[in-house]
Amino acid sequence: MEFLGYFGGVFEPVALLLLLGGTVGGLVLGATPGLSPTMAVALLIPFTFHLTPTQGLILLGAAYTSTVAGGAVSAILLKIPGAPANIATALDGNAMARNGEGARALQLSFLASGVGGVIGVLLLIFLTPVLAVWALKFGPSHLFWIAILGVTVIGSLDSKSFVKGLLSGCIGLWLSQIGYDEIQGTERFIFTDALTGGIHIIPALIGLFAIPQVMEMFAKGRVSAAIESIAVPKYSIFDSVREVARSIRSLSIGTTVGAIVGLIPGVGGQIAGLVAYDQSRKFSETPDKFGKGHAEGIISAESANNAMVGPSLVPLLTLSIPGSPTAAVLLGGLLIHGIFPGSNIFDKHPEVIWTFINSMLLGQILMVIFGLYTAAWAARIAKAPVPIMAAGVLVLAMFGSYSVQQSMGDVHIMLALGIGMYVLEKFGFSAAPLVLGLILGPIAGDYFTNGAMIAAAQNGLFEYFFTGGLNLILIFLVISSIGYSFWTNMIKGTSVDVEARTEVAE
Amino acid sequence: MKNFVKSALLGAAALAISTGVSMAADYPDRPIGVEVSYGAGGATDFQARIVTLPAGNEDMLGQPMYILNKPGAGGRKGWNWFATEAPKDGYMMSAYNVPHFIAQGIKGGVKYDADTFEPIANWGADPAVVIVGKDSEFNSMADLIAFAKANPGKTTTSGAGLFVGHHIAALQIEKACDCKLAFIPTKGGGAAAMKAVIAGETLAGINNLSDAARALEAGNVKILAVADLERHAFLPDTPTLKEGGLDVDNASVNFRGLMVPKGTPQDVIDKLAAQVPKMFAHKRVTQKMKQTNSPVKIMSRAEVQAMWAERKATLAELLKGL
Amino acid sequence: MNASRLQHIIPAGAIFALAMTVTWLSFTQEPAEAFVFPRIISIAFIILASWNLARAGLGMARVGGGLSSAEARHIFPGLIVMLIYVFFAAKALGFYFASAIAFFAVYSIYDPVPFSSVKDWVKRIVITAAFMAVIYGLFALVLQVQTPRGLLI
Repeated sequence: MEFLGYFGGVFEPVALLLLLGGTVGGLVLGATPGLSPTMAVALLIPFTFHLTPTQGLILLGAAYTSTVAGGAVSAILLKIPGAPANIATALDGNAMARNGEGARALQLSFLASGVGGVIGVLLLIFLTPVLAVWALKFGPSHLFWIAILGVTVIGSLDSKSFVKGLLSGCIGLWLSQIGYDEIQGTERFIFTDALTGGIHIIPALIGLFAIPQVMEMFAKGRVSAAIESIAVPKYSIFDSVREVARSIRSLSIGTTVGAIVGLIPGVGGQIAGLVAYDQSRKFSETPDKFGKGHAEGIISAESANNAMVGPSLVPLLTLSIPGSPTAAVLLGGLLIHGIFPGSNIFDKHPEVIWTFINSMLLGQILMVIFGLYTAAWAARIAKAPVPIMAAGVLVLAMFGSYSVQQSMGDVHIMLALGIGMYVLEKFGFSAAPLVLGLILGPIAGDYFTNGAMIAAAQNGLFEYFFTGGLNLILIFLVISSIGYSFWTNMIKGTSVDVEARTEVAE
Repeated sequence: MKNFVKSALLGAAALAISTGVSMAADYPDRPIGVEVSYGAGGATDFQARIVTLPAGNEDMLGQPMYILNKPGAGGRKGWNWFATEAPKDGYMMSAYNVPHFIAQGIKGGVKYDADTFEPIANWGADPAVVIVGKDSEFNSMADLIAFAKANPGKTTTSGAGLFVGHHIAALQIEKACDCKLAFIPTKGGGAAAMKAVIAGETLAGINNLSDAARALEAGNVKILAVADLERHAFLPDTPTLKEGGLDVDNASVNFRGLMVPKGTPQDVIDKLAAQVPKMFAHKRVTQKMKQTNSPVKIMSRAEVQAMWAERKATLAELLKGL
Repeated sequence: MNASRLQHIIPAGAIFALAMTVTWLSFTQEPAEAFVFPRIISIAFIILASWNLARAGLGMARVGGGLSSAEARHIFPGLIVMLIYVFFAAKALGFYFASAIAFFAVYSIYDPVPFSSVKDWVKRIVITAAFMAVIYGLFALVLQVQTPRGLLI
């Protein structure tokens, strides 16, 4: 309960102002396409130079928590995921917004983010020493199996056909191998100069999600019916609160998955949302509703994203090892003020560290309040007439993918992937498994290479990858996940296929 | 003519005119980019952010510098972009890491080498150190070498990547002890290589002195030796590899500084070469660098040119036949 | 609505051809150590691609509506604007200028009101200007993104 003693620091006038500024600014930056939480925090570091260490960290802590939540805004309203973390949110959130329930989607997403985020930070406060030991247990072989476990989810993710889902994932895995190999440094599959740097995940995300949607709007043509906005039922904040409170199962799945994935250094929060979404669907009584604007989908994905924030800082604060790119930037923010994280940081700089953690806690709550009250207003963006929406998303996609690395090559890749994805979607393929492949490809591939090199110096590949308790547990999970997908899709026959058959009959 | 250009500029204030005519007298008239080939938050990125802070001061360059991260494949992605696509007008600089880019250039498969770029100035030098986990049975370089000799190819040693300073140090140690290590380049750079040592995934590791000193303070590692000619001020008690009887020089020391692509106008280079070292020596920079445990070493353009040439020769020799 | 068997065979065939190319490249490129993982992927890729092609050929591909000719006609002008904007105009004309034109073009093409209405032309110009002002404020002023300058900004 030591942290309670340091709450005073957060309530000083300057600190409170920074907390507010960080939260609101973080939401806006997070909602900007192409600006991942990592870059948003990196942009804020220079501002902290003029502040005291405590003040600087309040700003960074508040901004970190709210940029992660802010990414959901553009995912829901424009179907442009702000970061890989928000992919799953885009699936159901955007469907809901297009049904005219943008405000509801935003409110659910902020509330779920808040619940997940607060639990994540509480884990950081109370369980740091325990979690630190746990975080070190994952070596290259385990990270490889975790990535493979993620790959097994591909077949069942937002896909109408099992084969096409797997095939989409495979295309994603292959696309991820383009460019320089991270470990060996050799060139792979570089057909044109734009591909020299490989496919950056953020322009790819923008292309794969935003461009097909723009083309879908084009496909409607100049139909005046499309422009009439749908009558929107008024959705009160209390209804959203009640709905989130009822969704205990999605919340607990999201929070648990987010906290575990966040803790593992090297996997990062990229896949937390997608894995939680998939698990939540597997355990749901109404799995068919997912992808069509289902509240459970948004709640599980967003609670996972924010639950990851707190635990992802455990390896940083206790071992001085940043577990995610954003944590690496925060490390810079700490170092610059002469604070060296390590096992003794809580004894050496208690006021700084506890104020930082407290600011994340309060930042979550402020983020929920601010988000809830602006949701109704922000949701009007989703009701813009179709031609304005199409033009606006196109220009935002351009700026978003350019600003990541200020590279025209990225923009070209973005559009090429987007047009390709539109055609594929028309034939039953989907973007979510493809993106998951794109994210997991480098993780699986590089840890495989890495592990194989260590294994070669020890007792060989088999012993390194297939023995040891943690390896065996993960392999068991991989096998059961494959078995489950196979069972539901091949033997039981999917409900989707039935649906498709009726479609044919129509 | 100059008046004409000036009035044209005034007349169309919103229009940017890039005529390709050298306008060094006005340079720089907009912010200057600094491309960093490593991720945000890494040592290079983070030091680059500190040393470019005073750029906007009137007595420095009068325009701020901003950082552009293009991480990947041990720096190859960023420097390839810088060598081929970056504008050659002085508005895009890059942070270099020696010996990394020179070694990669010698090894091949990239679009740059020591002659593709023009150095501006050097800001820091971070030697490589040999580390082991805090509970390791190795307490000195001699222990480690004895183990490596008894078990050739089994001494797993983590480092940030292939053909970066850490790898060069490992190659030099192997050559000096006439034994075989197992160098493991990790995914995720220096931080991941450090984690591999702390978690016991590898028996030993080679890492940056600044990061290792921090891990030592946190009680996570033991530092066995420094790969430099002299002991370092941060670690006065840690011997150099030479003291331990291994003939390893300072070829692996990670020099960091700024450069521009070849083809940048000479007057722009001259202006930068005159101003940038002053910027590095700014009181606010040195103070922040000290606070963050980042070793400073300011070198002028001429000194860096000599250092690059020397490194190129040493590395060509070391990497021969690999 | 479902696409015809032939319509399903075309993308399935294209993906199969891609899988063949990827597999061939993975097994022929050097150095072999860097291609171990791509090889594993390519094997899975080619198995799945053949399975998918077989399903399409047998008329078992049931999901996906395909692309109707009316839709293709509707997409065409927007697609042309997109391609010119991204691959040519952004660099040649400058980012902001090209974006304003692309926004205005897409908006005008797909706006259902008749082209003869002067009032709506004015409305579209105003909305374009307002949107670009927001974009400029966000990316150029707040985030300080340096965009390519062509003839204009």
